[in-house]
Amino acid sequence: MTRPRLTLAGMLAATLVGSLAGCGSRTDAAVTLWHAYAGAERATLEALAADWNQAHPDQSLVVVAVPYDGFGDKITSAIPNGNGPDLFIYSQDRLGDWTAAGLLEPIEFWIDDATAARFAPDALSTMAYRGSLWGLPLAVKSLALFVRTDLVPDPPRTTDALFEMAPRLRARGVFPLAYPVDDLYAHAAWLHGYGGRVMDGDTPTIATAEGVAAASFARQLVAREVVPRDADGALTATLFSEGKAAMALSGPWFVADIALGVPYTVTTLPIVSATGQPAAPFLGAEGVLMSARARDKQAAIAVVLALTDDASATERATEAHQVVPNVAAYTGALAADPVLSAFRQQLEHTVPMPATPAMRAVWTPYKNALGQIVIGATSPADGLERAAGQVAGYARAERP
Amino acid sequence: MTALAEARVVRQPGTRSAIRDVAIVGVVLWIVVVAAFVRSRNREATAHALAHAQAAAQAIARGDAPIHATAAAAVVGPAVASQRHAFLSRRVARTSAGDRSLGGPGAPAADKLLYDAANRFEREGAFATNLADGTGRAVAAVATARGPAIAVTASAEPHPGLPWLALLGVAGLGLVVAAASTSIVGGRASGAGVAIGLATWAIPAAWWGGPILAIVVGATALGIGVAHHRGATTRVLTTVREHRIALGFLAPAGVAMLILVVVPFVVGLALGFYDHHHGRWTFVGLDNFRRILSGDGHALGDPLNFWFILGVTLAWTFINVLFHVTLGTVLALGLRQSWLKGKGAWRVLLIIPWAVPNYITALIWKGMFQGEYGAVNSILRGLGIDSVSWFSSWATAFSANVATNTWLGFPFMMVVALGALESIPRELEEAAEVDGASAWQRFREITLPHLRPALGPAVVLGSIWTFNMFNVIVLVSGGKPGGSTDILVTDAYRWAFERGEQYGMAAALGFIIFLLLLVWTLVGRAISGSAEEARP
Repeated sequence: MTRPRLTLAGMLAATLVGSLAGCGSRTDAAVTLWHAYAGAERATLEALAADWNQAHPDQSLVVVAVPYDGFGDKITSAIPNGNGPDLFIYSQDRLGDWTAAGLLEPIEFWIDDATAARFAPDALSTMAYRGSLWGLPLAVKSLALFVRTDLVPDPPRTTDALFEMAPRLRARGVFPLAYPVDDLYAHAAWLHGYGGRVMDGDTPTIATAEGVAAASFARQLVAREVVPRDADGALTATLFSEGKAAMALSGPWFVADIALGVPYTVTTLPIVSATGQPAAPFLGAEGVLMSARARDKQAAIAVVLALTDDASATERATEAHQVVPNVAAYTGALAADPVLSAFRQQLEHTVPMPATPAMRAVWTPYKNALGQIVIGATSPADGLERAAGQVAGYARAERP
Repeated sequence: MTALAEARVVRQPGTRSAIRDVAIVGVVLWIVVVAAFVRSRNREATAHALAHAQAAAQAIARGDAPIHATAAAAVVGPAVASQRHAFLSRRVARTSAGDRSLGGPGAPAADKLLYDAANRFEREGAFATNLADGTGRAVAAVATARGPAIAVTASAEPHPGLPWLALLGVAGLGLVVAAASTSIVGGRASGAGVAIGLATWAIPAAWWGGPILAIVVGATALGIGVAHHRGATTRVLTTVREHRIALGFLAPAGVAMLILVVVPFVVGLALGFYDHHHGRWTFVGLDNFRRILSGDGHALGDPLNFWFILGVTLAWTFINVLFHVTLGTVLALGLRQSWLKGKGAWRVLLIIPWAVPNYITALIWKGMFQGEYGAVNSILRGLGIDSVSWFSSWATAFSANVATNTWLGFPFMMVVALGALESIPRELEEAAEVDGASAWQRFREITLPHLRPALGPAVVLGSIWTFNMFNVIVLVSGGKPGGSTDILVTDAYRWAFERGEQYGMAAALGFIIFLLLLVWTLVGRAISGSAEEARP
């Protein structure tokens, strides 16, 4: 062999050995946890992990920060190949896919009623799918009503009161409320208040009487100038900050978008006057989920229980401003936090976000239909009928 | 190919080459035998564990003690849901030692296997399976009157699954057959041997990549066999040997192109023949293409019909490129006028839209078209015109998109036109002026013919960019109203990410877009080529 060939062969061998070594390098920790947290959330999680390791030197926990982009896909590919974590933190929206693919370990075996009672019932339900429980919730996200106290000293408690505010505020060039009116995520609050649901199990229920009533209500909001017709999330924040919208429908993340010095408070959504039921936004949750390939499941579940107990929840709420689902956390200092306690109250009237994969095909057709309905380009019944047809078409194309 | 090359190099007759061939065959056969042995042993161990689990489960069902060692074995009672949550349910294990509740914080790990197996039994009925936790254990459940009898075998030897080794053996054997065919036999048999040898690669291809990949590999093998018969491989190998240094330098770029361009393209094309739902891939042949081209059950005027979207896309591309070229040329001509002061500054100003990242521009324009507070409507109101709800009707939403993209696109055409104008000799125009040609005549007879060769390729390029201008459509109109301003590339995105992850449909649509643009490029090249020839 000539020298260049030898060098080439050596380089190839080195690459091969290197990649094999890379495959083989697994930590000898008892439990590995992947998360996509940053900033205060990450710092708090790492502090909690350090506490765990101090208390359990024989069951070491290693937390690995993974970039948020592609985190879900990484889980999807890493777990079946045996390179995945034992635990990971993710929201409930891919439970359907991951359980169907056998990636997740059901954990209801370890959870008794006493443990379940830590959480607001709906918050725990977000982590359930097809009769099993797949994780315990760390933090919840729902919409609530942000109110500018300088424009609305007395937040409306019913939707009728909301409509009554319109003429007075419009005279000053102010919209009573701003939110993305064609977005199902926000609209679902009204839909649920009218008694409707987007999903019945794995079946979309779109063109229903309640759905039509809620869509007509959204159309009225626009027609009577209670809500601007084409505000997206960014414009909602601008209008609210500039005082051109007196209230906004948004979630915990909205706090960061409000300009400094704006006097505001957060409260629960009003009651839908037509039904007497409170408007109930979707409830999403971030939870600790366990891989079906976790090596030491006994140790893993102990970590899950520790990360979600009341003391940890209080620390996460205080340090990282997470809206925690633990009922007992909202005593003392946290109860005095107007934002956190408002979201805690809203938790009483929410609907867990469906975890079924079928939900993902619903958003765009529903958004298109609402967009057409609120500008009066189509009737609520026709628009929803059409959206239902589209969604059914996508599901029908599914081959067993 | 390296084995082939080696085989060609040592083609001279002699004992050395014969020994070498035999050695290669021997090594490969050894690998195959080892792989076959490991595989059969794995199967045996798996089957044993399954049989033990099954026998143990049946023994418990009869009320006997299991013969083989078990990690857990019991008849498991029905799930009793908790008062508060239906998904928190408890089961009872009925063993000879009495009943015990399964589950709760700190419950033993073996109990969880019983609990999960009982859940699975209720969904699927009796089953026996190997646990996927790498312990080599198996679990079986059989029905009894009191609930499923479930047995989990005790830990067995961990068994590494090694099908890849067997497949590697097959592929290696194929290579040896191919190499031997080139060096030992001649004539037709040589070509056939190469084809057959390489075609064995279709077996691992079918295993890993499915039928399509296997067919591609098989066809490639046949092609190489035919080429070898005709002497093409010999010529190729000779050329490779001659230019091996140059090829060595090219190899890194070649590998990068292969990984970044060829592989994604082939994978993308292959995905178009599959259906994807909830992580499952099913081979469906041309069904995705049929669904797209037939409109997928939507009427022709429906914004979700492929032909409607294609019409919108073509209109979008044509109108945009027309505006880009017209505006770009007019501005370039303007910049060339001798009376214009501060040409450098004007040029910089006019190139700014091109220099700003296009998604930022798109978001700014979206804000300007906003109904209540947007700049466009404010100006209209200032002029006493009613404000327009831009994204409520197709025509206005489409116009908003076009306005944005015109702003983004004209500087490129302007720069191209400026360059072409610089190359027109001044004398030519002066001579025409002296001969009494009007400004229009000078433009038509001198400027335009000089612009055409430069603008031709720019138009083809610009039209491809516009055809696939994802950012403007998604960020400005977002497909509003009702998806009617979507173009093909945004529709492909929606198939992939908004309609239940139908990646197969998205891939098929992507391939159709590729074909359309390929045809357009060829047509465009033919047109600009003839323009080049017609140049005075």
